[in-house]
Amino acid sequence: MQTSLWKRCIRELRADLSEQQFNTWIRPLQVVEEERSLRLLAPNRFVVDWVHANCMDQLTKVIGAETDWPEPAIVVEVGRQGLLDELAPPKPTPAPARHDARWSGGRLNNTYTFQTFVEGKSNQLARAAATQVAWNPGSAYNPLFIAGGVGLGKTHLMHSIANLMLERQPNAQVAYVHSERFVGDMVKALQHNAINDFKRAYRSLDALLIDDIQFFAGKQQSQEEFFHTFNALLEGQRQIVLTCDRYPKEVSGLEERLKSRFGWGLTVAIEPPELETSAAILMTKAAAEDVDLPEEVAFFIAQRIRSNVRELEGALRRVMANSAFTGQPITLDFAKDALRDLLAVQEKLVTIENIQKSVAGYFKIRVADLLSKSRRRSVTRPRQIAMSLAKELTSHSLPEIGDAFGGRDHTTVLHACRRIKALRETDLRVSEDYKNLLRTLTA
Amino acid sequence: MRQLPLDVQLADYAVFESFYLGSNAAAVHALGLAAAGEGSPVVWLWGPRGSGKSHLLQACVSDASQRQRNTAYLPLNLAHGLGPSMLDGMGQVDVLCIDDAGIVAGEPDWERQLFGVFENLTQHGGRLVLAASGAVAACRFGLPDLASRLMSGETYRLNGLTDEERVAALQLRASWRGLELPDETGKYLIARVDRSTGALFALLDRLDQAALAAQKRLTVPFVRSVLEQR
Repeated sequence: MQTSLWKRCIRELRADLSEQQFNTWIRPLQVVEEERSLRLLAPNRFVVDWVHANCMDQLTKVIGAETDWPEPAIVVEVGRQGLLDELAPPKPTPAPARHDARWSGGRLNNTYTFQTFVEGKSNQLARAAATQVAWNPGSAYNPLFIAGGVGLGKTHLMHSIANLMLERQPNAQVAYVHSERFVGDMVKALQHNAINDFKRAYRSLDALLIDDIQFFAGKQQSQEEFFHTFNALLEGQRQIVLTCDRYPKEVSGLEERLKSRFGWGLTVAIEPPELETSAAILMTKAAAEDVDLPEEVAFFIAQRIRSNVRELEGALRRVMANSAFTGQPITLDFAKDALRDLLAVQEKLVTIENIQKSVAGYFKIRVADLLSKSRRRSVTRPRQIAMSLAKELTSHSLPEIGDAFGGRDHTTVLHACRRIKALRETDLRVSEDYKNLLRTLTA
Repeated sequence: MRQLPLDVQLADYAVFESFYLGSNAAAVHALGLAAAGEGSPVVWLWGPRGSGKSHLLQACVSDASQRQRNTAYLPLNLAHGLGPSMLDGMGQVDVLCIDDAGIVAGEPDWERQLFGVFENLTQHGGRLVLAASGAVAACRFGLPDLASRLMSGETYRLNGLTDEERVAALQLRASWRGLELPDETGKYLIARVDRSTGALFALLDRLDQAALAAQKRLTVPFVRSVLEQR
């Protein structure tokens, strides 16, 4: 009866609180049955205070309605129980394996679907190809090779393919495995004299999705085994999807015959998200946690963190945690304050000097050229790009940037920023150069 | 079950209750959630020496272990010599706390092993807490796959303490071992002794023993006499 009482309480609280609040404050509670009262054990006094301030009315009401206990029938205090008994609120299911097929490889994350994948210019080709493959496994593009830097959504797309395939064919044998794990499993199989089982398991699949194949580099025996698995699956018209942090040709330490086979199907690239996509990703992630993230805050975070989506997620998590902890709504000032340390670290890493070095290196000129009076095109364009980057990535003012570039006037810097902005729209080369530099500098 | 690799003992004082919060309450709360298997899958703590990183990591392990979770405290400054294979199996742990995580940055074998631990741990819903002297980006990990994952969680900087907070922290620690430390004695101590938190707490141990032996309270004259005996 107690169990159902707490369940009832949970139900009421859930309806009232946001997902984030519920996870932060209610989930960690442990419940102890006492005679005619309920004792809630909290991990620390913040949780006690919060529950007191926000949930007591609700809890008292439920307990009053369900029992004849005299008040006060509920105690909240710091403490813990030895064992999580069955009275405790349900534990969150860790990365639920929705489709626990016969194959025991990596688990599928069922929150990674095409619906939760935020599309933008930077990833729409990859998304389209992935959707095709999920609808027509083994025949559309085989293998599908997704190339792109870390934290840009390759794994998300891969899980989306697997989840959709299994939705359409629940009995399909679909395996997602990180290449590190493939290597580890193979080594284990060799040690335990079970290499034939290993081969059979992999070769009987309907679809094999291997993440981050750059980890195969230099592992000859794994490559050999993978080569045969790959051929067997391809011959049987089974789908193969691979991801890598670069194009097949660019992976050093990978056998040529593998490189060429990887190119047989379709290779698509994922680029770092544009500002708008980043902001959309942040808002989607916040919404999934039932958190209201104002657009200006999303754009602020997206603007300041450019390297990859994982880092964006880290920043968002921190803002949401602070908001849940202090009970304050997320505003621009609140976000700035919560991310102060994180952004300060970035700023320390991205200095004007740093930018000048990277730009000079990229265009194969000297830093001294950037600072000189030279007006040769081969120097002025990189100089303008460097100035724009300094404006975008540091908090220095225009006059300060001018000073740092051989004592130039702030109007020169302003002109450079405008010029580059315009060129990025019209000149593909400039746009590429700028993007590459942005990525190197913020990685 | 508590797993202690190496010959590492959790310090008996290292629990959440004996940690002076100061301006670090949000970080402490995040670690409390991690110990309970909640909150962000990965938490990165950074701050200067003596800001309490090891205390908090050990407190997290101690708390997780009281909750019957499989947990481990791993100080990489000590474990480094054992080589990356000492991380084998750590991905199965529920709550893993890695201290001095930055010192393996730039060592490919360690980084790959750590990457594997991260993947295994997060796949089964475990929690990873790491501490280092700097933020992830400042540690300069060579493996971008690892660095980006470590950045995907909550990052907290532990702020150092002001003098007033230092006195309060000392008093909290003293009261936790059943000692009463008057304000003026606290002020006296932080004005005259090496200010690092570790040194202050070590001194407290000495004062504790001396006070017990002499059956005295921690007055300024008594503390002065103990310091002069050095």
